[in-house]
Amino acid sequence: MTATANEAGRVVIIGGGHNGLIAAFYLAKAGFAPLVLERRNVAGGTIATEEIHPGFRCPALLHVAGPLLPDVVKDLQLASVIGHSRIVSFDPNEHALRIYEDPQRTASELAMLSTHDAQRYLQFHACFKNIGAALAPLVSVAPPDVDNLNIHDYLHLGKVGLKFRGLDRKDAYRLLRYGAMPVADLASEWFENELLRATVAARGIFGSFAGPWSPGTSNGLLLQAAFGGDALLMGATMDSLPATLVKAASAAGVQIRTNANVTRIHVKNGEVASVVLETGDEIATTAVISNVDPHQTFLQLVDATHLDPGFLTKVRAYRSIGTVAKVNLALSGLPAFSPLRGGHEDLAGRIHIGPDIDYLERAFDAAKYGDFSTQPYLDITVPSVKDPSLAPSGCHVMSVHVQYAPYRLKSGDWNARRNELGDTVVKTLALYAPNIRDLIVDRQIITPLDMEQQYGLTGGHIFQGEHAMDQLFASRPILGWARYRSPIKGLYLCGAGTHPGGGITGGPGANASREIIKHLRSRR
Amino acid sequence: MNSTYDVVVIGGGHNGLVNAAYLARAGKRVLVCERRHVLGGAAVTEEVFPGFKFSVASYVVSLLRPEIIRELDLPRHGMEILPLDGTFTPMPNGDYLWRVNDHAKTRLEIARHSKLDAEAYDEYGKAMVEMGRFVKPILSMTAPDPTSLAVKGLRDLLSIARRFQKLPIEDKYNQLQLMMMSAADFLDQWFETDVLKATMSASGIIGTFLGVRSPGTAYVLLHHYMGEIDGAFRSWGLVRGGTGAISNAIANAAREAGTEIRTEVPIAKIIVENEQARGVAFENGDEVRAHVVASSVDPRLTFMKMVGSEHLPSDFVEGVRRYKFRGSSGKVNLALDGLPNFKSLPGEGPHLRGAISISPSVEYMERAYDDAKYGRYSRRPYIDIVIPSLTDPSVAPPGKHVMSCFVQYAPYHLKEGTWDEKRDEFGDTVINTLSDHAPNLRNIILHRQVLTPLDIERKFGLSEGNIFQGELSLEQLFFLRPVPGWAQYRTPIRNLYICGSATHPGGGIMGALGRNAAQKILSEWKR
Repeated sequence: MTATANEAGRVVIIGGGHNGLIAAFYLAKAGFAPLVLERRNVAGGTIATEEIHPGFRCPALLHVAGPLLPDVVKDLQLASVIGHSRIVSFDPNEHALRIYEDPQRTASELAMLSTHDAQRYLQFHACFKNIGAALAPLVSVAPPDVDNLNIHDYLHLGKVGLKFRGLDRKDAYRLLRYGAMPVADLASEWFENELLRATVAARGIFGSFAGPWSPGTSNGLLLQAAFGGDALLMGATMDSLPATLVKAASAAGVQIRTNANVTRIHVKNGEVASVVLETGDEIATTAVISNVDPHQTFLQLVDATHLDPGFLTKVRAYRSIGTVAKVNLALSGLPAFSPLRGGHEDLAGRIHIGPDIDYLERAFDAAKYGDFSTQPYLDITVPSVKDPSLAPSGCHVMSVHVQYAPYRLKSGDWNARRNELGDTVVKTLALYAPNIRDLIVDRQIITPLDMEQQYGLTGGHIFQGEHAMDQLFASRPILGWARYRSPIKGLYLCGAGTHPGGGITGGPGANASREIIKHLRSRR
Repeated sequence: MNSTYDVVVIGGGHNGLVNAAYLARAGKRVLVCERRHVLGGAAVTEEVFPGFKFSVASYVVSLLRPEIIRELDLPRHGMEILPLDGTFTPMPNGDYLWRVNDHAKTRLEIARHSKLDAEAYDEYGKAMVEMGRFVKPILSMTAPDPTSLAVKGLRDLLSIARRFQKLPIEDKYNQLQLMMMSAADFLDQWFETDVLKATMSASGIIGTFLGVRSPGTAYVLLHHYMGEIDGAFRSWGLVRGGTGAISNAIANAAREAGTEIRTEVPIAKIIVENEQARGVAFENGDEVRAHVVASSVDPRLTFMKMVGSEHLPSDFVEGVRRYKFRGSSGKVNLALDGLPNFKSLPGEGPHLRGAISISPSVEYMERAYDDAKYGRYSRRPYIDIVIPSLTDPSVAPPGKHVMSCFVQYAPYHLKEGTWDEKRDEFGDTVINTLSDHAPNLRNIILHRQVLTPLDIERKFGLSEGNIFQGELSLEQLFFLRPVPGWAQYRTPIRNLYICGSATHPGGGIMGALGRNAAQKILSEWKR
C-alpha cells in the first residue's frame, strides 16, 4: 500500500486521548495539519463516556479531571466542560466530612468535627496555594536537558529558583520536605481527625502503586497544586469533555480517524518513514507523535533493532504496573448513603470511601502481594446527578474507581476473578449505602487487564506509568529523554508517560506540541 | 564545683568524642560529660554476662571516615579493625546464599542461583562504586541551606549540581534511581534471584521505619560500597574488643590532646542566659560554665529536655516535635556454649565468621515491615547476626561464643501492651525464627539479653529507641536534618551546637559529623 499524496508528509498522532487531541490542536494552529489515528471507535481515551447498559452511559475510566493548564482551558475553550468539585467522605460511624472549593465553607463545616482542623485547613489551603504558585512554572514547560543545559533552561530554572525564594521560609521548607514525604505524615502533620487525614492521603495515592505510608506520595498534592488547583479537589469529567476536545481540534484543522489501529512505526535510516495500520494500510510520514505509553511506543510499535539496547533496558525498567480497577454501575435509583440522611447534593461531587490511614494502607498491602483489596479504597461519582441524560429517567449511573487491584495477580487471572472483584466492591459500597444491591441493573467491571487490552494502557496503568519520584519531571519517562523526543528522528511522545504525567491536565500534550513545533520548524 | 571550660560536650558517644578530640587538638579546653559509667554511647562494649563481652548496640563498622582514623591516629590508640568476611543467608528450602569479599567466589556462588545474576553482579558493583564516588564528598560537607542567601551555601549547592551535571548519563540515571527508588525496585532491575535481592535490600532498611519496597531505601545500598577500611572499598569490619574499642581509642586521642572526660555525670539542663548557652547543670546540682556547649545527644533531649521550649522560637520547637524518631529495631545478645549449626550448611565453617542474614525473600522482608506498620513486632523478623568471638576470641571464655542479633522490626509504639510486658515474648520470637534455620541454637544458649526499643531508649538515651537519632528518611536528610534551616550544627541558642547523629550525614559509626561540627564551632569561635 502506498500513501495517498495528500497524506504524505503529514504529522501523524497515534492515539486520540485527550493529550493527543490537545497536541494535535496546537500543531494544527501552527500549520501542521495533523492526522490523529485512534484505535477505538471513539476518541477521548481514558475520559470517553461509554454505554454500559442500554440507555446508561458512564465515564469509562477516569471520572475526575483537572486542574487543566489555564492556557489549555483558554485555547480550547474548555471552561464549561469541567465540573465543579467537592468531596464527601464517610466513616463507618456515619460521620460525613465535606471539602468544598470555598475553603471558608470547608473550614466552617470541619469545625463540627475538630476546631483545630478547621483552623488548620485554612492554613493548609493557603500553604498549598503558595507552593503551587512556586511550582507552576515547572509543569508548563519541557523539563531541562540534563546533559546540556541551554540558556533557556538556565533562565527558566532561575525563574523557578526566584519563585522558590519568593516563598516565605516556612513554605519553602515545607516544599523541600514534602517532595519525598509519605502522604500519611503530611496529613497527620496538619490534621488530627482521622477521616480528614484519610481524605487528604487519598489524593497522594490516587492511581499509584503506593500506600499512604510510601515515601513520595505527597507528590500528588504538590503536583496538583502546581496546576493552579486546590491540593485535594479534582473536577469531575463531563460527558461533553471528549466531544469538546474533538470539536476544538477539528475546528483547528485536525483530521481524526477512528478504528485506525497502528501496529507498526516504520523506521528507515534512523528516521520515521511511515505508520502501518492493522488493516495493512501504510501512511507515509516523517513525524509521528505517540500518545500511547512509552512501553508500547518503543517496545511494540518500533522494531527493537532501531533502538540502542541500553535505551530499551531503561524503557523496560520504567514502571507501569496498574493498581486501579473500575466498576461502573447502572442503577434504577439513587443510592442512599446512610451518613447523608437524604441530602442529594453531595452526590454531585466525589465520594471518598476509605475511613482511616490504616484502612488505605491495608488496601495497598494486598496489592504488594498480588491480590486485590478485600476492603478497597473507593473514589466514586454519580455523574447522572448533574447530567440526567446519562441514564433513563429516574435512573442513575455510578462510576467507581477501585484501589487496589494489581495488574499481576498471584493466584488466578483477571478474567476468572472479575466478578469476585465486582462483588467485593458492591459489598464495600453496601456498608455505606445499604440499598445499593437492590438498585443495580447492570454492572461493568474493568480490570487492569481490560485497561491494557481494551484501552491500550500497558500494565493497565491509568497514568501511563507510576508517578514515582524517579519517574517524574526530567526522569519521565527516562532521564535524558524527557523532552518529548526519542532516539528515533521524527518520533515524539505526548502522552501521560511524559512530564507532567497522568490525569486530565493537558500538560503533556501542550508541552509536547510546543517542543515538537520548535523541532519540526528547525528541521525544515 | 564551679570551673570554666572553652567547650563542654554533652554525651560521650563516638561523635561527641570525635568532636571533643578535634576541639582539644585546636587548643580548646574541653570537657566531655557522659551519663553512663562507660563511654561510647551506642558504640560500646560491655561485659553483660561474666566473661562475655558484647558490642551491646552497634556491632559492625564500615563508614568510619579514613581522615578521622588518620588524623586522630586511632590505631596507635588501640583501635584494630578485623575483617568481617561475607554474608551468609540461609533459606527455608535448605539452600543458602553465601557472598564473600572474594569477588570471583561470590560470582560462582551467585551463578549457582542464576547465571544472569552472576554477570549482573559485576556490572552492579562497578556502577555502585561510581555512585559512591559521587556521594562521598557530600558526606563530609556541611549541608548548605537552599533558602538562605549565604554565598557559601549557594556555591556548595551549585558545586553538587555541577558535579552531577558532569556525570555520564548512565551514572546520572543510576544516581537518581538510587536516591528515589525502593531497594527492592532498584534491585529488580539488576537481579532475578529473590534471596539475593532480599538480602541485599536488607541494608536499605536497617534502622529505618521503612520496608524494602518503600521509595528512598535504595540509597543506603550505596553505603555498602562506600565502606572504607584501610582504603579498600566495600568492606565491613568488626573491632577487636567490640565496638566500644573505637570509642575508647577516640577517647584516648581526645585525652592525649587535653580533653577531660567525666562519666556518670547526667546533665539536667543547658544553662541559657540571654539566648546564649553558658554551660551545663548536672542532675546533682553542680554546674560547669563553658563558652560553647556541644550536644551529641538527640534533638528531643537537647532542646525539649535540656534547653526547654521557652528559650526557643516556636517554629523551631514545632520542627523538633515533628522530627521523626520511630525506633524500629531491637537487639538480642546471646552468650553461647557452642556454635549454631545451620540446616542448610551444617558445621562450623567460615560462613559463621561473616554476617548471617535472616532475609530469605523480598516478601518475607516486606511482611516483617507490615507488622510494624500496624504497631506490632514482626512475627518473623529480619535478623542480622554476627558471632564476633570467632574472629576475636578475647570477647568470650574459651570454647564459648557471643552472638549479636540485630532484629527488625520492633516498633517503639506498640498497639497492644507494653514493651516491658512483651520483652520475653519478643526474645522468644527471635530465638524461634533463628531455630528454624539452626535448630541446635536453643540448646546452647547460656544467657540472653533482649533489648527492645524501649530498652535502647532507657539505656542509651536514644529517643524512641532510634539507633540513628532519628529516621534516615529523605525529608530528614542533608539540609533538612534535623530541622530545616538548622542543618549546620548551629542552633537558635547562640554558642549551643549539635554534633550527634541527628545532624547531616546521619547515623552509623562514621564520625564525620563530629568532625564537621568541630570545624563549624572553630570557624565561628569568638572571644
